[in-house]
Amino acid sequence: MTSSESIFRKRIRKFTRLKRGYWSFLLIFGAYFISFFLPLIANSKALVVKYDGHYFFPISGAYHAATEFGVNAIGEADYREIDRAFETEGRGNWVLMPLIPYGPNEPLLDATGSPPNPPSRAHPMGTDDRGRDVLVRLAYGFNISMTFALLVTVIGEGFGIAIGALLGYFGGKLDILGQRGIEIWSSLPFLYTIIIISSVIVPVYLPGQYQLFQPSFWLLVVVLAVFDWMGITYYVRGEFYREKVKDYVAAAMASGVSDTGIVFKHILPNALTPVVSFAPFVIVGNIGSLVALDFLGFGLPAPTPSWGELIGQGMSNLTKWWLVVFPNGVFFLTLLLVVFIGEAVREAFDPREYSRLR
Amino acid sequence: MPTPPESILELDHLSVSFPVTAGVFLRRVGEVRAVDDVSFTIGRGETLGLVGESGCGKTTVGRAILNILKATAYGVEISGKILYHAAGGTVDLAPLGRRAMRPYRTDLQMVFQDPYASLNPRQSVTQIVAEPLAIHSKLSKREQAERVEWLLQKVGLSAEQANRYPHEFSGGQRQRIGIARALATNPKLVVADEPVSALDVSVQAQVINLLQDLQDEFGLSYLFISHDLSVVRHISKRVAVMYLGHIVEMGDGDTLYQRPLHPYTRALLASAPRPTPTARRTRHAPLAGDIPSPMAKPSGCPFRTRCPIARPACAEALPPLTVRDGRLVACPYSE
Repeated sequence: MTSSESIFRKRIRKFTRLKRGYWSFLLIFGAYFISFFLPLIANSKALVVKYDGHYFFPISGAYHAATEFGVNAIGEADYREIDRAFETEGRGNWVLMPLIPYGPNEPLLDATGSPPNPPSRAHPMGTDDRGRDVLVRLAYGFNISMTFALLVTVIGEGFGIAIGALLGYFGGKLDILGQRGIEIWSSLPFLYTIIIISSVIVPVYLPGQYQLFQPSFWLLVVVLAVFDWMGITYYVRGEFYREKVKDYVAAAMASGVSDTGIVFKHILPNALTPVVSFAPFVIVGNIGSLVALDFLGFGLPAPTPSWGELIGQGMSNLTKWWLVVFPNGVFFLTLLLVVFIGEAVREAFDPREYSRLR
Repeated sequence: MPTPPESILELDHLSVSFPVTAGVFLRRVGEVRAVDDVSFTIGRGETLGLVGESGCGKTTVGRAILNILKATAYGVEISGKILYHAAGGTVDLAPLGRRAMRPYRTDLQMVFQDPYASLNPRQSVTQIVAEPLAIHSKLSKREQAERVEWLLQKVGLSAEQANRYPHEFSGGQRQRIGIARALATNPKLVVADEPVSALDVSVQAQVINLLQDLQDEFGLSYLFISHDLSVVRHISKRVAVMYLGHIVEMGDGDTLYQRPLHPYTRALLASAPRPTPTARRTRHAPLAGDIPSPMAKPSGCPFRTRCPIARPACAEALPPLTVRDGRLVACPYSE
């Protein structure tokens, strides 16, 4: 080898060579990055309005009554309506709408027929039973599902790593008691606890606010994380037991490194292999958990755009094929891609040089 | 036994025992006395060789001196004294906690047996060698890097290799990195725990010679632990032989090798491979049986179960180390 490379860099290089997993990774996280700009891509509010020589930016959240734009209507301006009106007037006023001019929680009741409406040119995936655009809701739902799953994974795994490291490093009675405690905690029925919590605490939905600032969202994140940290403790604890007796740890002790230094600088980096290899599958599990809870109605409060709620609609409207195929299809595809990532990560962490994955 | 004029370390009746636990609540059901009443001294600039088969407690002695047992072994008990004669006065290291031990860490360092396990695979050579410096010295990052380069050259590596990772080195090179790390803080005493056992014979000689050169240059004292008699003979003038936690014979290397008194020393020497096939073979047959479990040590002399000259009295009391024929030996019956 000519140039020097740390083990971590080497594994990243190997991961990028595993095409299926690497492309899945780019696709999922590219889409996730883009989904943060969804309010600019799919929204019922115009990006820019030019009216009588003045520019307005309704996208920033500013409220503009319909009368401000010379439209005789009550309440907030309907920008799609104004767009059409300005075009027929031809007075040089214009509206720049987002690419998809529909919001996630907006009932489109002006369409012909009663909702749910089948796919059309304006709504490529149709509308749901309240006349909301399925494509837009699925897109917003992707952002929420991913954010939720990543947060639960980070919080849950982080806590699990800390507990596992503590038990594994100090061992002895702490380990014995801690393990029994974890076993007791693991045997709590997760779903019942969620149902009890959600029946006691009424979820609050703040209209117009981004999902991340909703208390109900964080409540659900914490509740799921509280039930999601036990699995990884076993692996981290085992890794710590194996690593702490190795001579490099003894050498660090002989050099006078503190306990925290030994745990964080020496053992932890060598104990993270199971954590990283499991992470994609934990994410898959957490996406599934959120969808399942939403499907059962114990998840995020209405009208949050959620996949589980849409899948539930498909369940009760089996003849409306677009409510069955699209939500389930998107759900399936996302899980599949994340599993591909997980497979490639596992392979990249395998010390064997040659891989059956390509 | 001639005591060296000025000693740097003195073990005074050191015993180390590990608990044996059972059941859900880690009930203490017994103990393993890995080191049993061991006393010796190491002189300044001297190398003391510590020999014995695996499991006899050699490594535990070394780790007890460095005070790293309490952190790794749950419930370990240490009794006796580890007197370190520092520049400012004598201190007993045995009861010191981690914080109190810190000032002496620069003076006592260790070279480990397995060059693959003793270097953190995630750290570059610079990070590994500079770690003791970062803790104990006030050197800037730049000065640390300079010292690392200097140390690497001292142990026969090149400064360009400083940014590489352990997996890019051979076993012998890794052991040199381990030696550089041990030397980083200018230690007075280095515990070398089987530093060449994991290496090829040709590399062994290089590393041994390196250790001797460094000893001459820096005035180091070594506790050289090994199971290989020929290696110990090469590097150390004084040798202690351990069996099941006890020192059975200790004295000048030449005396010991030419006329071993303890039956265990004799057996060890007889079983050592000979470099010349025509060399005279001793009469002693290799030892029969296995080393007894340290959990259930034989009564009296620990070696009596395998001893060719054992007699009923051996089971009654532990024979004390007595001066005989210019060395200490724990067997009153051998000729």
